[in-house]
Amino acid sequence: MATNIAAQRIKREFKEVIKSEEVSLYLNVAQCSIKVELVNDSCVELKGEIAGPPDTPYEGGNFILEIKIPETYPFNPPKVRFITKIWHPNISSITGAICLDILKDQWAAAMTLRTVLLSLQALLSAAEPDDPQDAVVAKQYKEQPEMFHQTAKHWTSVYAGGPSKMPELDEKIKRLTDMGIEEHNARDALSSYNWDLERATEQLFS
Amino acid sequence: MSGAECESDMDCSGSDCGDAGYEDYYSTQPWDGEIDNDINFDKQKQDPEYAVYECLRVDEVERLLNENVEFLTTNLQITPSLAKLFLHAHEWDLQDILLKYQDNTSNIMIDSKIILSHSVDPLFNMKFLKGNLCSVCFLTFPTERFSTLNCGHSFCNDCWCAYFETQILQGVSTGIRCMANSCSILAPEDFVLSLLIKPIMRERYQQFVFRDYVKSHPQLRFCPGPNCQIVIRSKELRSKRVICSICKTVFCFRCGMDYHAPTDCDTIKKWLTKCADDSETANYISAHTKDCPKCHICIEKNGGCNHMQCYNCKHDFCWMCLGDWKTHGSEYYECSRYKENPNIAHESVHAQAREALKKYLHYYERWENHSKSLKLEEQTLEEIKLRIQKKVMNASGTWIDWQHLFEAASLLARCRYTLQYTYPYAYYMEAGPRKELFEYQQAQLEAEIENLSWKIERAETTDRGDLENQMDIAEKRRITLLKDFLEV
Ligand SMILES: [Zn+2]
Ligand SMILES: [Zn+2]
Ligand SMILES: [Zn+2]
Ligand SMILES: [Zn+2]
Ligand SMILES: [Zn+2]
Ligand SMILES: [Zn+2]
Repeated sequence: MATNIAAQRIKREFKEVIKSEEVSLYLNVAQCSIKVELVNDSCVELKGEIAGPPDTPYEGGNFILEIKIPETYPFNPPKVRFITKIWHPNISSITGAICLDILKDQWAAAMTLRTVLLSLQALLSAAEPDDPQDAVVAKQYKEQPEMFHQTAKHWTSVYAGGPSKMPELDEKIKRLTDMGIEEHNARDALSSYNWDLERATEQLFS
Repeated sequence: MSGAECESDMDCSGSDCGDAGYEDYYSTQPWDGEIDNDINFDKQKQDPEYAVYECLRVDEVERLLNENVEFLTTNLQITPSLAKLFLHAHEWDLQDILLKYQDNTSNIMIDSKIILSHSVDPLFNMKFLKGNLCSVCFLTFPTERFSTLNCGHSFCNDCWCAYFETQILQGVSTGIRCMANSCSILAPEDFVLSLLIKPIMRERYQQFVFRDYVKSHPQLRFCPGPNCQIVIRSKELRSKRVICSICKTVFCFRCGMDYHAPTDCDTIKKWLTKCADDSETANYISAHTKDCPKCHICIEKNGGCNHMQCYNCKHDFCWMCLGDWKTHGSEYYECSRYKENPNIAHESVHAQAREALKKYLHYYERWENHSKSLKLEEQTLEEIKLRIQKKVMNASGTWIDWQHLFEAASLLARCRYTLQYTYPYAYYMEAGPRKELFEYQQAQLEAEIENLSWKIERAETTDRGDLENQMDIAEKRRITLLKDFLEV
C-alpha cells in the first residue's frame, strides 16, 4: 500500500472541488456553508468549519473542527472533534468528541470530508438523544426541550459568534464569577443544572 | 484423535479413560448421529463434571468445515464462497440454511448480506462508472481495472486491494464490507482473494477467516493454551471442564476461561473483573482498552464516545459497564454521568462502600489463599518427587510403591481448585438457607482438604491406608458440593 495514499486522496478531494470553481473546499447551500483548510502542508491535520443550520439554536454560529487524517485514510475514517464549545446531545460539552456513526463503524472509503461535514451539519439540525455523547445534555434535551434550546443558543452566541444576547443567563453567570468561579466553569455548571443558581453553586463548591 | 479426552492424571477416575472401545465408539458413529443419552445421563449422575468432547487439529477442523461447505454446494448448487457466507451468517446450522433457502432464496441472500434488498443507487453508477472514475482514489482507469461486488458498487482494483489490506491489518476478515456509502454487502472470500496480491496478506486473511469460522461455530472452541492450535468440539454449549489433549490446558468449554465450577461463567467473569480492578472506579475508567463482552477481542476506545461497536462481531455495548447498548435506551445517564464526574458515584455509595468492601475482602482473601496454596502444593509435589527418587536409588521401595503419593497430590490439587472457585460463588449468593448450606459444605470440604494437605506433606511417615482414606473423604465432599450446587 502506498504510504502517501491518504495525502494524495486529500489533495484530490481539494482539486475536485476547485474544479467546480470554489476557492478552498467550500460549499454554500442556502446559508449552510462548510469549509475545509489545510493547517500545514502535511495533509495530516486539517481545519474544518461549519455554519450552524437555520432554524436551530446553532443558527448564526460558526463552528471550528479539528480533523486528523489517519495514515490509512480513506479506508479508515478521519478523526474529528469540535474545537468550538457546543451544547449538543451527541457532542461532548467538555472535549468536543462526537458520537456519529459514519465516524466509526459506518464509515465507507467512498465517503469524503465533504460527506463528513455535511453529516455533522445534519447532526446539528437533528440530534439523536438516544445515542448520546453527552448524557447531561441529552437528558436536558429530552426532558426540558425549552431549557435545552436556550442553553444551546447561549453557547452558540458565546463560543461560536451567534447573534442572540441573553442577559438573564449572563446575569446568573456573573453572580458566580463574582464569587471567583472561572467563567466557563460557571456556564458549564449552570447549564448542567438547568440554570438553577443554587444547585450549580452547591456543585461548584462541593 | 477423537473420543472423550480425559487422560491427564487429574481426570482418570473411571474405566472409560483412554479406553480403546471408547475411541471406536466415536470413529464408527457420525458425530451428528444420536449419542447414547442414557449412558451420558448415568455418567452425569455419578460425576457432575462428566463431559463429552473431542480435541481436533486444524486440518481436522478444516475437513469438518469443508464437509458443511460441500453439503451446501451440492444441495443448493452454489459456489463454496457463497456457502461460506451462509454458514457464517447462520452459525453453521445446515438445516436452518436449507429451510430458509427453500422458503425464500432472496431473503436469505439479503439476510446474509450477499445482495441488497433494493437495487443500487443509479446516481452512483452515473456519476462514477461512466467516466471510469474510481470514487475512492478519484483516478480514472480502463474498465477492466475495476471490480464489482454483488451490490453493483464498482471500485478500482488497487483501492480494493489497499482496503482489504487495511482491514486485514485490523484483524477483520469475514466482516469486510463494500466500500460504498452505507452499503452493508460483505466481500466474499473468492472476491477478496482475487484482489489480494501479497502472499503474506493472503495467508493472514485465510488465517483470520478460519479463526472467525471456528468462533462462529457453536460446537467449536479454540484451546486457550499458549500457542496451541487445538480446537475442542463439544455438541453441547455448556460450562464443562475440558482438557486439551496436546497442551493439557484445562478450561471451561462455554466461556474459554479457566475452569470455574461451581461458579457459572457470567459470575466468574464478574468476579475476575472485580478482582482485577480493585478500585472499581478511577482505574477502571481510565483504561483505554477493553475486551468486547461478546467475542472478547480487544477494543481500543476511539474518541470519547461510550457507545462502542466491536469491529469484529459488531456487538453494540456500553464502554462504561460493558452492558448491551440496547438496554441503555432509558438508563444511559448513569454510565456517562459516571464518566464525566466520577464523584457522583462516590457521593451516593460512600456509606455502603465500607460494608461492601469488607464483604468482598472476606471472600477475596480466601480465594487468594487457596490460589497460593495450590502453587505451594505444586512445589511440595516436586519436593516429594526428589525425595522418592532418592529413596528408589537407595533401594527403599520402587516408583510403584510410591505412586499413591502422586495420586494423592493431584487429587489434592483438584479439590483445592474447586474449593478456590467456591468463593466467588458464595460471594454472589443471596443470604438464606441455601447459602448457609453451601457455606457449611464449603467448610467441610476445606477441613478435609487441609487434613489431606497435612498428610501429604508428611507422606513418608503417614500410613498408606490412612492417606487413601483421607483422599476418598475429600473427593466425596467435593463431589457432594458439586452435585448440590453445580448447575449444568
Ligand atoms: Zn481507486
Ligand atoms: Zn456495495
Ligand atoms: Zn491446547
Ligand atoms: Zn465458563
Ligand atoms: Zn454514543
Ligand atoms: Zn452502561
